[in-house]
Amino acid sequence: MLMFGLYSAGLCLVKGLNQTNMDNRFAFGLWIFLDLTVIALGAGAFFTGFLLYILKVKELGAVINSAVVIGLVCYSGAVAALLVDVGQPLRFWFTFWYPNVHSMLTEVTFCITCYLTVLLIEYVPIVLRNRRLRQVPSFLIFEFELHKLVYVLAGVGTFLSFFHQGSLGGLFGVLRGHPFAFREGLAVWPSTFFLFVLSAAAAGPSFILLTTWLVSKISNRQLVRPEVLPLLGRISGMLMIAYVLAKTVDTLIWINHTSPGAGVPAWQYYSWKPFGTWILFAEIVAFGLIPALVLLTPRLRLRSNWLVSAAALTCIGIALNRFVMTLQTLALPTLSFDPFLSYFPSWQETGTFLGVVGFGVLVYSFSFRYLNLFPQERDLEQPEAAPVREPALAGRY
Amino acid sequence: MFPWNYGFHWGAVSIVFLGAFYCVLTVISTTLILALRRTYRSAAQGRADRIRWRSEFQELAARDRLCRHMLSGEFPYRECRNAFDCRRCEAHARILEKRRPAAVAETEEEVFGMAFPLDRLYHRGHTSVLPQPDGTALVELDELGRRLIGVPDQIALPQPGTRLRANGTGWRIRKREADIRVLAPVDGEVVDVSPARGGCLLVRPAEAAFDHLLTKSEVRPWLLREMERLQLALTAQGAPTLADGGVPVDDILASYPSADWDAVCSRMFLQP
Repeated sequence: MLMFGLYSAGLCLVKGLNQTNMDNRFAFGLWIFLDLTVIALGAGAFFTGFLLYILKVKELGAVINSAVVIGLVCYSGAVAALLVDVGQPLRFWFTFWYPNVHSMLTEVTFCITCYLTVLLIEYVPIVLRNRRLRQVPSFLIFEFELHKLVYVLAGVGTFLSFFHQGSLGGLFGVLRGHPFAFREGLAVWPSTFFLFVLSAAAAGPSFILLTTWLVSKISNRQLVRPEVLPLLGRISGMLMIAYVLAKTVDTLIWINHTSPGAGVPAWQYYSWKPFGTWILFAEIVAFGLIPALVLLTPRLRLRSNWLVSAAALTCIGIALNRFVMTLQTLALPTLSFDPFLSYFPSWQETGTFLGVVGFGVLVYSFSFRYLNLFPQERDLEQPEAAPVREPALAGRY
Repeated sequence: MFPWNYGFHWGAVSIVFLGAFYCVLTVISTTLILALRRTYRSAAQGRADRIRWRSEFQELAARDRLCRHMLSGEFPYRECRNAFDCRRCEAHARILEKRRPAAVAETEEEVFGMAFPLDRLYHRGHTSVLPQPDGTALVELDELGRRLIGVPDQIALPQPGTRLRANGTGWRIRKREADIRVLAPVDGEVVDVSPARGGCLLVRPAEAAFDHLLTKSEVRPWLLREMERLQLALTAQGAPTLADGGVPVDDILASYPSADWDAVCSRMFLQP
């Protein structure tokens, strides 16, 4: 997958974005959907760090290393896809040198770059804790000293994540020319700013839960104590229910006020098939309210199949939301003479997408193999043995 | 703002936005610089061994960090919070005050067919300390440690004059794929060394306080626990252990050619 991805990305870089099925009208495609989704799912890194180091939820220490690796994989994958997507990767630094401070995208670029740096720094102590590397005294001391300052990085990460997750939502909320996405809000921030922050914070713990469960199944090892996954589920459930409520209120305001105010009745958006009202129902109820209620019900949360299914639904729901905001927004006509646009990614786009997924799986697998991603694993790897009794004749025969 | 950026004008928005951005960059770089400075300072002060033990102790499994007084039955359950350095443990001092002198008349404890002379003190990293009449102490592997390693492939002993720290590196042993760092049981200066019996050091202790080492009545319960740990470590390697009783052979490693000996030894010699 990675090799195919590199080949596809290479074609896009060498020959240009004509290798994709995007155009000037449909400028956001599979890659931006991928970026928005992995950045939301990678939010577990900042949110777990915030809960552990700032709010002192000690139980989350069991998954923090894994969360950092997931965050790193998601953000580096997103940045890699963006480098291909900008079309002129050699000019990536223009955004820092010639910043348009009024653009949500500038804030997103600044924050993602900074946060990726923070994640890389947070990843360093995890790598240096490898048994072989720890034999080098300066690595050992640096890991120890850096780990003592990790709460500063957790605070910075939370600050950066709050703003770039929000700005990714705000990016769509300020599109006055696309009344399907346009939202009113607070000061310069449209409501989508806050919805994206909330939804990412809700999806992050669910994605960590899901990956931990999956890795545990694949490796056939118990990685965390039994109470850790339900705790992640509960945190995710609480944030998800808050998100579903906020999203419902936002949607009602948009249907009854914002969209008619822009001259388009909201039902009109759902007359373009396949984007019927089912997608709104799926987003809010099937992949929002239902998993939130499951995660908030203690009896169901304690049953692995319910817990994992609800976490998976939560992640799918957030991915669906990002799909709607990216692809449905661009597909819908904005003026009466506009056609309904359709888009299907080219194989080069799909290849690059698969390459990012392959990169993520490889980095996580190597990290799992060589680094201590789950500190509790050592405690759980073997059941407590029955006390050894010395044989009566030990040493006498 | 920057050279060749002619269109940029400072305003309230750009000051707030770029100000926040540069603040974040400053915090990140200050954190890194601080960590590097502290690293340099700690390395210059020779704190690597202390840091290594503190860090590795936290990574030991909870069942490997149990307090010695739990092993001897004085607590139902207690994890050590002092990285096995009982010299700074208040609970240990209180227990020693209350404890009656143990009536151990034997000169040797025999556990699973292995002899553990009681004229010496034992460290939980499988070394023993035998105080000498001239004030020095003989440090060597205990019987279980010796049987775990058998005949070493390579031994790296410290030079005479080297300063040792309790729980720091005493010496290193290489056997097959295992690179074992034997923990020093006492603070002190190495006077003489010998590669015999898996490595022996003659050490002049910095202080005569050996409170952190296990004594007579504690040896048996600790060793029974160690045999339990060994059994668990070998079971993880798929090796059959003690199914019908018996005693450890002289060279345990030779009996398990396919086991990951690095994993077994790292566990038994307290190196996660």
